[in-house]
Amino acid sequence: MDFDFSEDQEQLRDAVRKWVDKGYDFDRRRAAVAAGGFDRAAYTELAELGLTGLYVSEDHGGMGMGPTEAMVTLEELGRGIVLEPLTQTLITSATLQTHAPAALQAAWLPRMAAGEAIVVLAHQERAARYQLSRCAAQASESGGAWTVSGTKSVVAVGDQANAFVVPAMAQGQMALFLVERSASGVSTQGYVTQDGSRAAEVVLSQAPAQLITLNGLSALEEAVDIGIASVCAEAVGVMDKTLAITIDYMNTRKQFGVPIASFQALRHRVSDMKMQLELARSMSYYATLKLHAPADERRRALARAKYQLGVSMRFIGQQAVQLHGGIAVTDEYIVSHYFKKLTQLDMTFGDTLHQLGEVSARMQETAGVFA
Amino acid sequence: MDLAFTPEELAFRDEVRTWVKANLPTELSHKVHNAMRLTREDMQAWARILGKKGWLGYGWPQQFGGPGWTAVQKHLFEEECALAGAPRVVPFGPVMVAPVIMAFGNAEQQQRFLPGIASGEVWWSQGYSEPGSGSDLASLKTRAERKGDKYIVNGQKTWTTLGQYGEWIFCLVRTSNEGKPQTGISFLLIDMKSPGITVRPIKLLDGECEVNEVWFDNVEVPANNLIGEENKGWNYAKHLLAHERTNIADVNRAKRELERLKRIAKAEGVYDDLRFRDEIAKLEVDIVALEMLVLRVLSAEKSGKNSLDIAGLLKIKGSEIQQRYSELMMQAAGPFALPYIFEAMEAGWQGNFPGGTLANAPLAANYFNMRKTTIYGGSNEVQRNIVAQTVLG
Repeated sequence: MDFDFSEDQEQLRDAVRKWVDKGYDFDRRRAAVAAGGFDRAAYTELAELGLTGLYVSEDHGGMGMGPTEAMVTLEELGRGIVLEPLTQTLITSATLQTHAPAALQAAWLPRMAAGEAIVVLAHQERAARYQLSRCAAQASESGGAWTVSGTKSVVAVGDQANAFVVPAMAQGQMALFLVERSASGVSTQGYVTQDGSRAAEVVLSQAPAQLITLNGLSALEEAVDIGIASVCAEAVGVMDKTLAITIDYMNTRKQFGVPIASFQALRHRVSDMKMQLELARSMSYYATLKLHAPADERRRALARAKYQLGVSMRFIGQQAVQLHGGIAVTDEYIVSHYFKKLTQLDMTFGDTLHQLGEVSARMQETAGVFA
Repeated sequence: MDLAFTPEELAFRDEVRTWVKANLPTELSHKVHNAMRLTREDMQAWARILGKKGWLGYGWPQQFGGPGWTAVQKHLFEEECALAGAPRVVPFGPVMVAPVIMAFGNAEQQQRFLPGIASGEVWWSQGYSEPGSGSDLASLKTRAERKGDKYIVNGQKTWTTLGQYGEWIFCLVRTSNEGKPQTGISFLLIDMKSPGITVRPIKLLDGECEVNEVWFDNVEVPANNLIGEENKGWNYAKHLLAHERTNIADVNRAKRELERLKRIAKAEGVYDDLRFRDEIAKLEVDIVALEMLVLRVLSAEKSGKNSLDIAGLLKIKGSEIQQRYSELMMQAAGPFALPYIFEAMEAGWQGNFPGGTLANAPLAANYFNMRKTTIYGGSNEVQRNIVAQTVLG
């Protein structure tokens, strides 16, 4: 039992933090949002830091790192509310590496690691909400070649990505496929989401697809759990910075002739925010360290973690706005963007209420960190 | 980064588990698992068993006869005891006054007092709070005047937990009115059989007498019962608080009580009611999150890196969780928690309990009792002040 970071992990943290502080200021982010929510140059800079190949094995040109390094990286990106879809790259590279045939891995992983190709998870459907087992998209095979038809919603950078990892039903069972955006029968409608990042509606009409695995549901659950751990880590960074900005403001802003940090009603609120942050950080560690646990244990743990993070994000986001007062509901001031990021992260990979249902359904007689 | 305990730590846990299983009397664990009333003899019996093994002072260093365990080992020991249904170690002797005697008492005091604490023979009480000094403890007024080789003590302490059983009491007393309130306080050990001491139990809202008022009327205390220097008592008391870290969260007991809550909810037919079950699920996440917080503190203590100054958070969350499980247990039983039959909380009571099952008898009383947890040990509002101070300056 050890929650210290290694020297290498600390160096990784420093490198990412340095890039966020020096290379990704609020003006750059604002420009990226105005330009449609995706900054290809910024994504390339993340690739130059090696981050797009974080999970990719060294054989395929990546860094071959693990969940803790991913957590450290995403915490730092969260601190700067970076728009670029690194979480998606972590999910899809891990999924391909674990489940895809060797040829598919060789075709995609090196390009993904280099930042040349972006592959995103396209799993959400209108009628399924957060239920992973509900899938209307259909796959069919003819002479060893697959096609997929269906509509996938709110797909991260869906109109910019090079390919999608798509769940679809094959003979009544969920399978995972890789579909290239440039393939015939693929159309996308891109838009900006509430946090300023980019997404798309993706329509597949007998689109040519390559099979990743026929064991689709468990692979999808694994993929989404990687997504949950990533979101938890990112959220910790966002919340940590949100609280820091709020504290600075409270020690500067004066009303009734004194800094508002001197008022006990507000101080207690800050104490409650600190509580939510530390519970969230604890559960982010927990999520990351449970990613390699057996599926049942992993699912239970990740649902618990995402529930806690959802509660914490809602509280810290709302209270940061309240403690700032009017300035925080302006678009100009940075805290409103942190608040919107937290709100969107809660609704990514299952919101608080959904995760509570998961925890509730998976309860056993005993419970604790190790059960 | 690693969630797992080391093989050595796991071996230690197994050793403790085996020992507790072999040595914890089942009539005691039966009472604890069912929240029945524990007598002084029950608590003393377990203290003596631990004392004989050398584990009552489980936080003590080896030089004072303790096992010299690490923070993780102490946590694992507490966890095994809690999950097995052992009565809680009454902390005033082995956990609270002993570390102060070790750190600030002289050799004579250490030889005189520590053996009786380690064996579980001598029952200690804590004399801190006063009628006018709750959260503002430093305003305490109980006076100790030096007369030759004695102190003459006058005043009143209150909320003295289990003080009706106490043989000795460690008190914060005022020895000076100079300077700041904190600088005129001394730490005094007082024999409760001394003439002039009156103990009056206070009946609480659950019908139990868990706390007491203690009056001091010209009580003579030998001057060599003073710990350390006169007027330095506040510092010694703070040292004690610094030693009371992760166990304040009581997360191990919470894990046991969560199991009991699920048993009660199943027996009362509300476990499959999603509206109720979700409330248990929320509590389960709270408990796991608190356990992670505790493990982070232990890890930081082990490595000496990333020190976490979050005792206030542990106290707030731990106490809220205790209140919540007791509340949900009562709600699970609903109207069947309402019959108030004092004797029904005694083990072996043969009467006819009209609340469906005897398991429901203590639920309301426990709920009422647990309201204390956010008040004592520095109210949760005081804890929030402390947390805010570390965050906002």
